Amino acid sequence: MFAELGIVLQVLAFAASIYATAAAFFSTRSHSERLLISARNAALLTFPLLLGAAGVLLVLLVQQDYQVEYVWQVTDPTTPLFYRITALWGSQQGSLLFWNVTMSGFAFASLLLNWRENHRLMPYVIIFQMATMAFFGGLSLFGESPFARFWITPIDLTTAQLAPHLLIPPNSEIPPLYVPEGTGGLFAQGGLAQTANGLNPLLRHFGMIIHPPMLYLGFVGFLIPFAYAMAALASGDLTTNWIKATRRWTLIAWLFLSLGLILGGRWAYDVLGWGGYWGWDPVENAAFIPWLVGTAYLHSVMIQEKRGMLKTWNMFLVIFTFSAVLFGTFATRSGLIESVHSFAQSQIGFPMFAFWLVMTLIGVWLIMWRRSRGELSDEHQFTGWLSREAMFVLNNVVFVALALAIFWGSFGAPVISTLFMDTEITLGAAYFNQVTVPLFAAMYILMGVAPLAAWGIMSARRLGKSLIVPLALTAFGVVVAVLLGAQTPGTMFAYGIVLLAGFVALYEIYRGARARTMTTGEALPQALVNIFGRNRRRYGGFLVHLGIVVIGLGVIGSTAYQDDLIQRLLPGESARIGRYDVRFDSLDLGQIADDGRLMDIANLTIFRDSAEVQHIRPRIDHYPEMAVTIPGAHSTLEGDVYVLLSGYDEVAGSSVTLHIYLNPLINLVWWGGLILIVGTFVAAWKDDRATERARAPIRNDTRAGAAA
Amino acid sequence: MAQAAWEKPNSSPLTAAAAAPRSERLKFLIGGGLILVAIIALIATGMSQGARFFITVDEVVEESRYLGQPVRVSGAVLGDTIVYDENTLTIEFTVVHIPEGQDITGETLFNAVNDTDATRMRVRVEGQTKPDLLRHEAQAIMSGTMGSDGIFLASELQLKCPSRFIEGAANQTGSVGAE
Repeated sequence: MFAELGIVLQVLAFAASIYATAAAFFSTRSHSERLLISARNAALLTFPLLLGAAGVLLVLLVQQDYQVEYVWQVTDPTTPLFYRITALWGSQQGSLLFWNVTMSGFAFASLLLNWRENHRLMPYVIIFQMATMAFFGGLSLFGESPFARFWITPIDLTTAQLAPHLLIPPNSEIPPLYVPEGTGGLFAQGGLAQTANGLNPLLRHFGMIIHPPMLYLGFVGFLIPFAYAMAALASGDLTTNWIKATRRWTLIAWLFLSLGLILGGRWAYDVLGWGGYWGWDPVENAAFIPWLVGTAYLHSVMIQEKRGMLKTWNMFLVIFTFSAVLFGTFATRSGLIESVHSFAQSQIGFPMFAFWLVMTLIGVWLIMWRRSRGELSDEHQFTGWLSREAMFVLNNVVFVALALAIFWGSFGAPVISTLFMDTEITLGAAYFNQVTVPLFAAMYILMGVAPLAAWGIMSARRLGKSLIVPLALTAFGVVVAVLLGAQTPGTMFAYGIVLLAGFVALYEIYRGARARTMTTGEALPQALVNIFGRNRRRYGGFLVHLGIVVIGLGVIGSTAYQDDLIQRLLPGESARIGRYDVRFDSLDLGQIADDGRLMDIANLTIFRDSAEVQHIRPRIDHYPEMAVTIPGAHSTLEGDVYVLLSGYDEVAGSSVTLHIYLNPLINLVWWGGLILIVGTFVAAWKDDRATERARAPIRNDTRAGAAA
Repeated sequence: MAQAAWEKPNSSPLTAAAAAPRSERLKFLIGGGLILVAIIALIATGMSQGARFFITVDEVVEESRYLGQPVRVSGAVLGDTIVYDENTLTIEFTVVHIPEGQDITGETLFNAVNDTDATRMRVRVEGQTKPDLLRHEAQAIMSGTMGSDGIFLASELQLKCPSRFIEGAANQTGSVGAE
């Protein structure tokens, strides 16, 4: 009956979130502090309850309780412990519960940490957070329960009917019709274990273990800024309070989302075996769209903080970031779109669509209402194309255009053509490359120029002057790139704009440290450490820019200069690609791995300029239901030689067919990702300066809150 | 007054009341309009290059207007018909029409391959090794063009086997020449 404990915990959490929503709502009417505290406590309670429910599922997975349908579906008796644990998010039902837990965790933390400072916003924050929690909790409870179980009942074998007098609980499922030989009883525990599915082999990879939780953390994390923005609109506290309260939450959500995207790319590269990491698949795009809108928001919110401008726009961005999260979740989980991530068709599609629509419409309506009352008017006007704020607006145009173009290509065109024409039009990689490359180019150019522009008024002359050093460095960098092999004008230009953005970031960091050595007399390294400590947001931001620059270099190298060939080799023969030779030495067929799968492995030797550099072993793993091609790679900063064992001569066991890719600079994509993550950490960490000043503003705010 | 404390003092010589002159505003409007037009043009050209009609085997075989047009077709693979030449790296197989308006499940594919009346189409993929998932009752999603010889030349082949691993990223994508 352990599974039922999970259901009970989920029901309690569901009830608590509904109560919290209602109590918070009535507290805004009656201004009852007690009711609000009660709402908060109920909201806080959802997290431990859901954590308990997830714990129950974890125990069921580890104990191999195959009566529970989810356990049966994602594990089998040969699944190692590690993958039993990660199976918690291995499929729809479990991942939905996991989603609920992390979402309540974010709500829990933000309610505890921001409770005193943002008292006026709190009732509404609770309403929007807990209404969302209740929706997803209900979805998990009534739509996709991870605790559904195969109900083992005595069966009248003559009629094969369930004994009718038994009370069948609501979470019962009809077991698969399979009678294992020699198990005696129909649907006995042993039988279920034998028929269990096991975790999809493609998901047994390091990147896949942490990619989904990171992505979910990123997705659900955007609930916090969303709830605060909605609370600001609903309560009428349209000062920068909600922005200050959510700045760090937004960065944390953005960090996880970035990490999730990068790990997803890494997983595709290591496991899917097509030599790439990004395929413009609708599911990838569904996760990329909130990232783009969220990135636009992270930039434009600075204009509101510094200049009191773009208030309506920022509201739109933060609400549409979460709206994109909801839409993406709906699109990928409902089976709306054909994708390489074939999520099951499920019943939760319609409620998810309805929830997405309602939340988005409420958000837009609240914005329009406040705007019509003149409460979102800007305090400053734009003063020139070269001002920092104008650059930020252009940056926003680029990010939003990217998001819309990708949305249109992944969802808009296929859905509209299906609804209004008698065919479905899908847009392939050609569309995405055509549309996004110019926009990404614009993004890098702005990334290079905008940090040098000043708030308010900026003359072209001053801007040009501050660009001299970075431009000189860029010119040098482009010459180096040309010497290393960038030949076409397109790649030279691409390297140029990406390098410019990088040199501007480095130059600005250097100038900051330099200025500090002048005023404080510190040595340069010491000053460097200190500027990062004192203005984490600015310099953390530059680190993030550097990360994006490094990723850009990797993407250009690995797309523009990717090379591949397919060749059949006899033992001792070599294939040549670029400066590398790949020699086929021998073939090991039928090797047995720890978990019992069979592996066919090719032993290859890689030579660079005829000097031996590495032995690699690309292989084919045979699982009962499918075979997975695992590449072997010789990986350096210069690039990867990435080899897939595509086939072999089974009879003689002597020849192999190899698909060899040369992916120049591809590792910069992962290294850039690492820099980006470090930079985001720096930016999200509390400022030394802010900590020094922290007390005074908080006291101010609580007084303001009490007065209100 | 938290707002005032938060904002950078003297960040600009302009005050809130100072509005931009009309000519300035016009310039922003024209600039914004140009950007919008550029983005729409970008999407339009992208669509003209990347658009593929997603049609059924019935349609591509029976309607001549799709001859030579880039299309995407989904069909159920007949396992016995798969021929793979390792030397020329050519795969040929036959797919069966999958009726529209149904979710693609193991059952749909089973019914499709066992329907002897359903339309069949020969498919050729060149320059690619045989994907692991290409087998009987798999769903093949092919991008390419119908040749006048009645053989569909696929430049991109995606395969799905919804029989068992229904959830998660259970599919392998193979592609050649498309990018």
